[in-house]
Amino acid sequence: MIRAKGVLKKFGRHEAVKNVDLHVKKGSIYGLLGSNGAGKTTLLKLVSGILKADSGKAEIEGVSIFENPDVKKRVLFIPDQPAFFHQTSLKYMANFYKAVYSQWNETRFRQLYEHFALDPHAKLSRMSKGMQRQAAFILTLSAMPDALVLDEPFDGLDPVVRQQIKNILIQDVSTRGMALLVSSHNLREMEDFCDAVGVMHQGRLLYERDLEELKTDISKLQAAFKKMPDESFLTGMNVLHYEQRGRVLTCIVRGTEEEIDRHVRLYEPALYDVLPLTLEEIFTYEMGSVGYEIRNLIV
Amino acid sequence: MFTIDTRSRMPIYEQLTEKLKELIIREVMKEDEQLPSVRSLAQQLTINPNTIQKAYRELEREGYIYSIPGKGSFVSPVKNAINKERVEMLKKELERIVGEILYLGVPKDEVIKLIETIEEPERGKSNDQG
Repeated sequence: MIRAKGVLKKFGRHEAVKNVDLHVKKGSIYGLLGSNGAGKTTLLKLVSGILKADSGKAEIEGVSIFENPDVKKRVLFIPDQPAFFHQTSLKYMANFYKAVYSQWNETRFRQLYEHFALDPHAKLSRMSKGMQRQAAFILTLSAMPDALVLDEPFDGLDPVVRQQIKNILIQDVSTRGMALLVSSHNLREMEDFCDAVGVMHQGRLLYERDLEELKTDISKLQAAFKKMPDESFLTGMNVLHYEQRGRVLTCIVRGTEEEIDRHVRLYEPALYDVLPLTLEEIFTYEMGSVGYEIRNLIV
Repeated sequence: MFTIDTRSRMPIYEQLTEKLKELIIREVMKEDEQLPSVRSLAQQLTINPNTIQKAYRELEREGYIYSIPGKGSFVSPVKNAINKERVEMLKKELERIVGEILYLGVPKDEVIKLIETIEEPERGKSNDQG
């Protein structure tokens, strides 16, 4: 549904997004992860038709989105800092959205602001950051988008609201087949929410994968030996990272659990365990393999 | 009916399949009983519907459930395949435990004697030998 084909965006001489291909399927939740300044926000703005790509295409169901009102009507974007017109209330903004977005659902709008107990006549500028974000969600969800792009969406929301918003988003994904593209740094949260993830670094999309697949083909192996194995133990597997403490080896290994199991058994470890990785660990090790690793700075 | 441990390392779809298998094996969910729909479960648990879909597909592949297009998923009546897998799993578990006991220096015949003292539990009318 949401697709970027070789999009490139420059700001001056700086290439913020370099030939990125991205695809978010209908009824899917795609998490866009990446280092700071990787180009995530720029990419989100490109696929939601806010920025024009210098080359490549940003399309919704095969139709170019930039300056195309028919497509933009069905695609909404919530930026990391929600923006409203000056001195307006939720009700006023709703009237504006109603005029622009033809799929606007008034019943849902009322249901939502009542549920989140937001006064539709209060000035938005006087509301707290979290409440403004709730207001942005209420407006966006009432516009019944077919594709939704969110930049750091849960930032500033309390845990109760967060869970409720997620729940509504999941309902829209499962019943209406909405395509959802989300950027976040909260990997723990993304892990339960997304079904596909893409990782960006320095303007490039390093990879794009089904989340469960990603989790099943990389594991953490911990093995203790009475007698340390020779080099072939490590070279015989696709090891991304390893650490040795005494006679205990901890490795991050690519490969299925069965493959790793078979290999490790040959070396007769006294104890060993193969654990699935958390998304945070995957992120850290994959980024480490492109030279973006955790180096502790001693100050 | 289900609780998902979001702090566990185990992927959610695996947690779901394990939970459902347990419910089916322990006959909490009976033959031909309908499973909750993907949508309702997604909404109930706030879990990505594709994750649930994947768990259901996996269960269907392993023969625990079957689906009728347009109607939903149901618990399979065939128990043999399920028991066979369970037996395999328990055998592996036993292998691991016995291995550890032997390693700790308990003589083999003592382990065998121990096994011989375990009485066979009374079995129901099932005829499920793996």
